[in-house]
Amino acid sequence: MTSTVWFWHMTAVIHIEGLRKTFRTMRGGARVALNGFDMTVEAGQIHGFLGPNGSGKTTTLRTLLGLVRADDGRMSILGHPAPDALPAVAPRLGAIVESPQFFGNFTGRRTLRLLARAGGVPAERVEAVLTQVGLRDRGNERVKAYSLGMKQRLAVASALLKQPELLILDEPANGLDPAGIREMRDLMRELSTAGITVLVSSHILAEIELICDHVTIISRGQRVATGPVAAVLSGFDKGEYRVRVADLDRAAGVLTTAGLPVTRKEDHLVVADVGDAAWIAEQLGQRGMWVSELTPLTPDLESVFLQLTNSAPEPVPTRQVDEAIQPGTIDLGVQP
Amino acid sequence: MNLALAELSRLLARRFVQLMAVLLIAAFGVTVATTVASTHKPTAAELQRAEQEVRVAEIQLEPLRQNCEQRSPNLSFCDAYAQQKPRIEDYLYGVFIFSDEILDLVYFMIAFLALFAFLIAASFVGAELTSGGMTNLLLWRPQRITVLGTKLATVLAAVLALSIVASVLYIGAFYALAEIGGLPGDLDGEFWSDLVLTVLRGLGLVLFAAAIGFGAATLGRHTAAALGLIATYAIVWEIGARIVFQVTEASRPERYMLSSYIGAWMAGRASFYDQFACTNGFGSLCSREYELTWIHAAAVFAITLAAIVGGAFATFRHRDLA
Ligand SMILES: Nc1ncnc2c1ncn2[C@@H]1O[C@H](COP(=O)(O)OP(=O)(O)OP(=O)(O)O)[C@@H](O)[C@H]1O
Ligand SMILES: [Mg+2]
Repeated sequence: MTSTVWFWHMTAVIHIEGLRKTFRTMRGGARVALNGFDMTVEAGQIHGFLGPNGSGKTTTLRTLLGLVRADDGRMSILGHPAPDALPAVAPRLGAIVESPQFFGNFTGRRTLRLLARAGGVPAERVEAVLTQVGLRDRGNERVKAYSLGMKQRLAVASALLKQPELLILDEPANGLDPAGIREMRDLMRELSTAGITVLVSSHILAEIELICDHVTIISRGQRVATGPVAAVLSGFDKGEYRVRVADLDRAAGVLTTAGLPVTRKEDHLVVADVGDAAWIAEQLGQRGMWVSELTPLTPDLESVFLQLTNSAPEPVPTRQVDEAIQPGTIDLGVQP
Repeated sequence: MNLALAELSRLLARRFVQLMAVLLIAAFGVTVATTVASTHKPTAAELQRAEQEVRVAEIQLEPLRQNCEQRSPNLSFCDAYAQQKPRIEDYLYGVFIFSDEILDLVYFMIAFLALFAFLIAASFVGAELTSGGMTNLLLWRPQRITVLGTKLATVLAAVLALSIVASVLYIGAFYALAEIGGLPGDLDGEFWSDLVLTVLRGLGLVLFAAAIGFGAATLGRHTAAALGLIATYAIVWEIGARIVFQVTEASRPERYMLSSYIGAWMAGRASFYDQFACTNGFGSLCSREYELTWIHAAAVFAITLAAIVGGAFATFRHRDLA
């Protein structure tokens, strides 16, 4: 890992290449958590990190932050090789990894003061971050007595204490109420405007879509998509439109004859490969069918996510609950 | 330094530490209280009677000593006679005599402090490893050896400070008790240097216990690991292996037992009797006794520390942290 090799990654705030990690249990079992994972986060991005449960997000972040040893792969953080150079970059880095635990007997304020002291951060920062995460008035209560969302806020406060250039947040919205989620969103935007790079993992896709400019999607320990949010979405844009008319069957016939793939739904049609929506209205109008709705079906992050993670290299065995319960197959033993 | 201060406030804020400190004070309190209850200032009459008895004893000893000097001056019991000086303290009953009893009391105190140190140190690192507090700290300061080392140094320093304070208070309390409700006894220079040396050795033992507790809990990632190690050692080795040694007639089994070295360390030396030695007929040239000294003990402690604490640091360096 010489610095020349890493030179071309200098602009990337985080660069991960071919990361592999297999957890081995005492009984000799092995679980592949990361299977050659790659990720690049450039300076100034708010980068969303998505993936189903157990896909390896937390493991990636832990490995990057030196808590877990990688089996293979290369990582750099803020232009330095990780984890070797972590002590050097730690002052520029704020991170929370999956619901951090704090010492319950301390108040929130004291927790932060001790951290500030241990990290050589001026004590004024404590009040600043407490206010920033909305805990100023509850700072003198014991952490034990905090709600889940309050603990999460405290965690974010601790990550902000150093005024980091890079913020790594593993599920920061975990346990937050709607107002809290919104505050978190505003906070991230604010930080991003101030030039801070944010890497955030989350399961709230609408949230990611709202705040992130870039995303990386991981499934079964491998990257399945990455890039600007719009680009990732447009890769899944099939030019589909929802068309609503009175006589669905006749309209479907017309459009199919015109060479468009049409799917008949309950009360509307889904037409793909539409270049110009006006053309559909015109075709149907000429035949006396008046279009009551003509809406483009742009893919959202959720549908893309679901498609991508199901099309992962090795499909995830999901939906067992639904598979198991087939309507009519359950005999409750109730006599009619 | 800042890290150490932060660790210190975490240590002092732990409920378990506070509870253990209360128990420690309670144990010492009970010891002092029972002593208070069983001692009294000797009355004039008692002193008079004791003096009388000392005189009687002197008179009885005198002919024995003379007999020795004349006939067989180098017999060991003659030495004993020569050195024996009956004291008033020996003939007072129900009176606490500081010089006679403080050493045993100090042993008791050291045993308690060692147990306290072991538990505190083990739980300090064990609880943080299980709760994820350590992970948090490492995110903040990604230097594992520094973080773990500071933790160990902090707990050792705290335990040492507490033990020094406890020793001074404990010995001071008994001294005051002797002055008020008993007798101080012969407090010559030799006595004090002996006492100080015993306390210093005791403090060493307390630090040893703390380091072992810390190391074992780190190795096993859990406070319970340290307790398990001690319980297993005590049952499997100190009891189980001792029986096996007995059955196989192994020679000098005590030298394999940590407890022997603890005894040797505290007393300066410990003698053991090897019941299976000298069975081959050269009786007179063969000594059945053998000795372990505090130097042997120091070596054994050093090796144990290297294995457990060294092992803990070596594995912690590269381990995956949850
Ligand atoms: N300490 C560990 N020991 C064994 N297996 C582990 C360990 N940590 C994680 N794993 C496994 O590694 C895989 C990835 O886990 P990881 O926590 O990275 O998932 P994640 O993407 O963060 O999931 P989630 O969205 O539920 O937080 C999972 O299969 C998990 O069971
Ligand atoms: Mg996770």
